[in-house]
This record gives sequence, C-alpha cells and structure tokens, in this order.
Amino acid sequence: MKRLSRRDFLKTAAVAGVGVFTGIAPTVRRVALEPFVRPPEEELPGRATWFASTCRQCPAGCGILVRVINGRARKIEGNPAHPLNRGKLCARGQTGLQVLYNPDRLKNAVRQTGGREPRQFKPIQWTEALDQLVSTLNGLADRSRVAFLGGLVPDHLVALVSSFLKALGAPPPVLFDLHTTLEGRAEAADLARRWFGKPQGQVQGFPLPMYDIARAQVIFSFGANLLETWMSPVSQSYDYGLMRQGQAGGRGFLAQFEPRLSMTAASADKWIPVEPGTEGLIALGLGRIIVEDNLGHVGSHRDHAYLYRNVSVSDIAQASGVSIETLRKLANVFADADRSVAIPGGYLAGLSNGAQTMDTVMALNVVMRRLGREGGVFLPHQVPAEQFTSSASISPFSEAQSLIERMKAGQVDVLFIHSTNPVYELPGWAGFVEALDKVRLVVSFSSFMDETAIWADLVLPDHTYLEGWGYQGVSPGADRPAVSGQQPVVRPLYDTRSTADVVLALAARLGGQVAQALPWSDEVAFLEQSSTQLLGTSSGIYDARTPDGFWSRWRQHGGWWTEKPLRDEPEVSGMPTGPLQVSPAAFVGDPQQYPFHLALYPSLALTDGRGANQPWLQEMPDPMTTGRWNTWVELNPVTARSLGVHDNDVVKVISPQGELEAAVVVYPGIRPDAVAIPVGQGHSDYGRFAERRGSNPLSLVAPLLGQAPGLPLQWAATRVRVEGTGRRQELARLESLDGAGREKLR
Amino acid sequence: MAQDVKSSAEASPRWAMVVDLDRCTGCQACVIACHAENNIPVVGEEQAAYGRWMHWIIIQRYWEGEYPNVKARLMPVMCQQCTQAPCEPVCPVFATYHNPEGLNAQIYNRCIGTRFCGSACPYKVRTFNWFEPEFPAPLTEQLNPDVTVRSRGIMEKCTFCIQRIRRAEMDVKAEGRQLADGQVQPACVQTCPPSALVFGDLNDPNSQASQLARSHRSFRLLDELGTDPAVIYLKGGETNVPG
Repeated sequence: MKRLSRRDFLKTAAVAGVGVFTGIAPTVRRVALEPFVRPPEEELPGRATWFASTCRQCPAGCGILVRVINGRARKIEGNPAHPLNRGKLCARGQTGLQVLYNPDRLKNAVRQTGGREPRQFKPIQWTEALDQLVSTLNGLADRSRVAFLGGLVPDHLVALVSSFLKALGAPPPVLFDLHTTLEGRAEAADLARRWFGKPQGQVQGFPLPMYDIARAQVIFSFGANLLETWMSPVSQSYDYGLMRQGQAGGRGFLAQFEPRLSMTAASADKWIPVEPGTEGLIALGLGRIIVEDNLGHVGSHRDHAYLYRNVSVSDIAQASGVSIETLRKLANVFADADRSVAIPGGYLAGLSNGAQTMDTVMALNVVMRRLGREGGVFLPHQVPAEQFTSSASISPFSEAQSLIERMKAGQVDVLFIHSTNPVYELPGWAGFVEALDKVRLVVSFSSFMDETAIWADLVLPDHTYLEGWGYQGVSPGADRPAVSGQQPVVRPLYDTRSTADVVLALAARLGGQVAQALPWSDEVAFLEQSSTQLLGTSSGIYDARTPDGFWSRWRQHGGWWTEKPLRDEPEVSGMPTGPLQVSPAAFVGDPQQYPFHLALYPSLALTDGRGANQPWLQEMPDPMTTGRWNTWVELNPVTARSLGVHDNDVVKVISPQGELEAAVVVYPGIRPDAVAIPVGQGHSDYGRFAERRGSNPLSLVAPLLGQAPGLPLQWAATRVRVEGTGRRQELARLESLDGAGREKLR
Repeated sequence: MAQDVKSSAEASPRWAMVVDLDRCTGCQACVIACHAENNIPVVGEEQAAYGRWMHWIIIQRYWEGEYPNVKARLMPVMCQQCTQAPCEPVCPVFATYHNPEGLNAQIYNRCIGTRFCGSACPYKVRTFNWFEPEFPAPLTEQLNPDVTVRSRGIMEKCTFCIQRIRRAEMDVKAEGRQLADGQVQPACVQTCPPSALVFGDLNDPNSQASQLARSHRSFRLLDELGTDPAVIYLKGGETNVPG
C-alpha cells in the first residue's frame, strides 16, 4: 500500500471537509446487505435460548425454564432459581410441550351452528366473535345475568375477570374444578381460616397452611398424597428427599393413614390401612393418649385436655380397626420427636366428616406446639404488593352448585367457561348439562374440544401456557413470598387469542364504567403495571431504577420472590371451645347390597383427566400398578379370590348412582373392603389420545343425603358392589405378570 | 489431533449415576424427562397391551409381604453402563461399543437390528423399534435437534444423555475452564424432584457421586455377574424409629 504523504492527507482532508460543510454525499456509501430471510435477533444457529416462565399443568405454579431452538420449544426444565420447585419438575410439567404441540388443538375461534346437539362448528373471525359478544352483552336487560366459571385460571386473569364482572354488576367468578376438589384445596383454606383466621380477616382467599416436610423428624399424613398430586407435589417431593437423607438429625419417619396404599404410602415407613371415615377418630385417639400420658417434651398438656375430654381410646381402636397398642406406639413416636407434624390430606374433604377430621389432625400440631416451629406448620408471608396478596381462591362446591341452580332457573344468560371441564368433571346428578340448556350464550375459552366445549355456542381458544402471559401467586407457598411470572416462549402457533385480551377488548367496546374499570390497552400493559407494584421492594432478589427495568428483570427471572426465606407463624385464634368431635362418616349405599367402599384417587399422570390428551402421560406407567392408557379396578387379593376374578378380568362396578366396567388389577395394597379406581380416563371428547379410553369413575359418585348444601363434593362417600362379567381385557401394563416381577424383553 | 485425543482419554472422566432408593418416590418424572430429551416415541395402547414399551428408564415395582404388612419397593432402572458390558461383544457390526469415558455407546446408523445385545443384556434395558416411530404433526416440533430420531429396526437405550455431556464439555472448553462437579446432568437427574439421582465422575474422588458411591448403603444390580455397572444404588427403607 502506498504511504500517505502529508500533502495527500491535507488534500483529502480538505475535500472531505468541503463535503461535510456542503452536505455533499460521499461517492461510496455503506449499505447494509438485507437477506431475504431474516432470523430473529436472539437466534444463534444451533444455540438454545432459555426463557423463564410458569408451569400451568396444576395450580402449584412451579417456575420453569424452556429451551427454545429456532423458535420452537424443545424441553421444559425446572427453574433452579425458583424457590418453590428449586429446579425440579414432575412428569406433568415435563409434558407441557404436548399441550403446546398437541395435534388436536383448536386452530381458530369457532361457533356452533344449528343448536348445541348436532355439533356443527364453523370457523368465525375474531372481530365477528367479539361483535357477537358485545351485542349480546349490550342487549342484556340485566347484566348481573353474566357468569364466569373457571378452573385452573392464572391469577392475572382472575383479577381481570373479577374487575370485569364487578363493573358489569355480575357476581364474582366461580372457580371450581375436579383437581382442586380431589386435593381439598378449598377445604384446606377453610381449615386454616377456622384455626388461624383473624376475626375480621379475609373471607376469601385465606392462605393455605404449609407443612415443613424437609425438617420434620416424624410426619403423620392422613390421606395427603403429598408426593403425587396434592397441593405442590414437586416442592413436597424435594422436601421429602431432604427429610430422608438431608437432615442433620437423621432420617425422618413418615406414616401414612389411608385405605389404599398410594405411591406416597409406598414411600412411607408405615402404612396404616384405616377404615374410610375413621381417620379423624385415629387423630383423636392419638391426641387423647398424648394428653393423658403427658407425652413429649413440651411441658404440660393440661390446657388442651378439654379437647379430648370424652374420648375413649378403646372405642376408637374398635371403630377404626387399629389396635390400642399400635395407637400407643404411634402416639409415642409422634410426641417423642422434637419435630413432628400431622398433615390433613385432600381425600378427607370428600368424606362427610371431613371438616371435623381435618380439625382433629390440626389439633395434633397445636397440642404438640408445632406452629411456626422448624418442621412444623407455617403460613405463607404475603407478597408486599396489593396486586398479589388477594390470590385466587377456589370456590367450594356449594358455589358451583348455586351457579348451576341459577342456570337452571334461567337466571344466567351468558356463561363464560375457562380451563375447567364441568361436563366431564362433575357427576351427572349435579345437573350441569341440563343447566347449560337454559343459558342463552355459552362461551368456552378451551384450547381443545373437550366435553364442555362441545356444548358451547362460541369457542374462543386461549393461548396455551407456553404461548401466553400471566402470573401466578405461589400457594401453598415456598419458604418465602413468591409470584411466578408467565411469558410466551414461542409465538402462538394458531389464530388463538389471549382470554385476558378478549376481556379487555370487550370492556373497551362496552364503554362506560366497564371500560373505566379496565383501562389497560392489553394484557401486557396490565402485567407490566402489576409487576412494578413490587418496584423498590428491598427484600426482593432484584430491583431496578425504572419500571421498564423492573419489568424486564421480572421476565428474565420468571417472576419475583424475596432473597431470604420468610414464613409466618400461625397464631391460633379459633381454638375449639369444647371437646373435639368426629361424627361417624356417612356413606351412600346399603352395606349389604354394596359391600365395598369406593376409593377414587387422582391418577398421577392424568390428575383429574386434564392430562389425558397428552400421549407421554397416557403411556406413563402408574407407579403402583404399572397400568397405562386405560381405567382399571384395584381389588385386594382376598377380595378378588372371593369374587372369583383375576388380573385382566373385566368386572362391573355398580354404585347406587351408576356403573362402569374395567379390567381388574389384583392389588395387595388395599383394604379388602375397598375398591380403588383412578380418575382421569373415560373422555368422550378431548382429542385422539383421550377419547373412548377407559371409564370416568365420577359416574359412580352418588349424592350424599341429597348432597346437603354447604358440603364439599362427597367423592369418597359412595359404596359399590363388584360383579364379574366373564370377559377379559388385557390391560396395558409395564410389568409382566409372570409373578417374578421382572421385565422380559419382548 | 491424535495428541488431543490421547490427552483427553487420559484425563477422561468415568461417568456414573447414583440412585438413592431412600429418596426415590417412583414419581416417573425421570421417565418423561427422558422421553422429552431423547425423542423417544410412545407405542400406543394396543402395542402396550401386548407388553411393548419404549422407555430408556423405567420404575420397577416389587411387592413384599402380604396385606396389611405389604410393602412396595420402587426402583428406577436404566442402562447400567457396564464396564464389562455383555451387550458389547455380541454385536456383529460394532454398533454398541465402549467409549473412552466408559459409556456403552450405541451407534444407530451401524445397527442392523439383530437384537443380540438385547438378549445379552441381563438388565433388560434395551428397547427395539419394531415400528417406524410416529409423531403426529405438530408434535414433531418438540423433538430435540441434538438427538437422532431412531427408525424401525434399531435398538436403542439410555446414553446417560451423551448430548448433554458433550454440550457441557464444549461449553467449558470454549470458556477455557474445567467441568465442575454437577455441571453435567442427564435429563432424569436434572428433573428428579426428591434429588434421588446424582450424576458425576467416579474418577474424581471428591465428586458427590463418588462420595455417595462409598456409602455403606451402596450396591449394584446383579453384582454377581461381574458386569461392573456405572449405576450405583443406595439402599433405602432403613428406619430408626420404632413403629
């Protein structure tokens, strides 16, 4: 290259200077080359991008990281920074990809033409659908005749819908689904409110109690399947691992009281197969022995003696079938440990004496002074922002019933249904299908054509959770206040629309008060504003100087939580004034005619049935029976012998309410007087993987005493009889039935 | 290049998995995580009823005793990555071979489907693709681009998520660092809610896996066969509370 002389340099500089001063463009310009296809900015070929979001396969609200390559979600993993699941995820969480990429998703909004029976669905434009909704809502003489029935609805949508309904003058949303019914969520909140509620405290949304499994030395679980589907299974399983092998004080002890050996009971040190309905009596007997013999190291039990005043341990031993010696031994184990905790599980809520039973179990924690102590009972500390303190509360069954009554009476003109499937999830006698007939306009926001969506006039599919926005208060909590943030990890696959945006668009179109109550331009604006309520909170894992900065860190981390653990000590404000009572549990069906207790349980894979359209979950063996893809009936070997049936024989299970047929699994871990059936199969709609497979055992659940108002759904209070059919059906199971328990390569 | 291979072989890790049966709950999270990571198809109800399955890790359940003193034992079983692997010498085409890190690697495009390896395996952890795998669109979008989708006639099994090992190795190499203990996690280990699965290098005496392997609770499956597996089980169920 030629050396630049001083003279040449000055010449060039002069010319350039003239150019600058006169605005003449240089002869050669730099022009960026534009490729025909432009990759998204964050894409590096062959490199994955990870996005933090929230799992929506159950209400727990675990934090997830989604591995995205070339704009497609490839793998979901737990978010290691999230205080709830601490990097872990369950089988259902892992399967979330099959919700997003399910071949049976609705690809656009549809409307039903020609009434609700013939199932003729035609695509409809979103503008047209919104027009129809606006004109229907405007045409209502009385806007209180609008109702919203939700299930697993993210908290941000509950907040928006609640404001929307309030501004309309309609009743608040009813949140009811089978999953939360089977885990007794509403009843657990009720229990906490009874014992720890302030006299003028919250009526709705009382926080769920938390049990410190990780640090407990002795855990008595009364039907809480805490490693499977109950409450927050991933967090509880993590803590269980610590309880087993991570404690300084040695290995913890878990005793499980329930009629069927669940997977949790299989992991327990002791399984006590109690007679259904006598769980409360056992807790009562244990308490009586502790108080009477003054067991434990917590000083005198004199203050609590009145709780057990009229209790006879020998009567309890007789009624429950658990011997006095066993009761004494268990009481000693519970009281001698420094850190023991008793957990009232979900299936108790399905019994007629559920509330009393849960009270007696909680009383054990109170008597042993386990409240707010390591390895004991805690309440979550509230997130320090108003937006997140009123977390969504599950409605009791009575509210769902009164909604159905209002529908039947023709008092509901427009019904919105989001992420619940009542036609499948409720027993037929609840009358939901008949009630739908009386509603003028039924709108479903389902992503799939499920049993309820086929009855809707309009189906306006929401994004699936990996495509949508939201937040979810973590309840029951982690060891600290936490909100899980949800954000899209991929662009929506189809012409679906966020239900929150539909609600906001409706509000804007309706104008007036409703528009004022919901002033946000879209869902994201609402979320941004909500998140920044936490701006400037010193206890958080991050903070920012500007709302924009805070919002971006919110999305980066997948929510907000505090840096340090922070839990509240429950204070007993609702101590029972008299002795604890446990009335005998009532069951439907004459014991002579119907000799067996029906023990339903949520399938580990499908939970209440919402996992049934995901092939990985269908193929996932049930850990205890190794059954897959179908429904089965578990019988004790003695019972099976007396009925003359074997594995894979089809039997008919008959209750006073209905009947079903399914193959037998001879199951050594169940009381001889009980019959267990997993919930989750038996879908008539819901996509190719779910349909026409097995039976829905909810059809067997009979109403107790006409289902007295105010009671939870009594799903554990039905008796059945079993009859052979003489047919056989090979159940698809993982284990080979050669008796050796070993797999053979086929 | 040759120099490179030699030096890495000398310092190569001995990958091993520790399964703590005292922590394991049988929850099947590992099973599904493995499906997701390794593009394992499902066989469907009809084939499943014939007894077919496609899982690289299964939870085996054994009953002990009779009601009411019945106990169910749950045990995750995956390829044991034997040091003296019975599957290796029987393969006529060297599709299954021993790699320098002690893994039993399976080279799918060499496999001709004799299924000798499956017959030789005492742990019965190899599964054979009798049919072309089906992923109804758009389920294909979920497939992991790091892992081959095996076609009909191919034997497959757990690889200890070799793609994740390689990814971690390349990442640290690019950053000029060494692999830290716990940095490599197969999908099952990553997701395991009670942290029953621990993965690590047995050649590093300080790795968590090495430490756990020295536990008095440790045993190996069918140890008497002399296969010297790289999966180490820790016995569970010892209780110190009378009850």
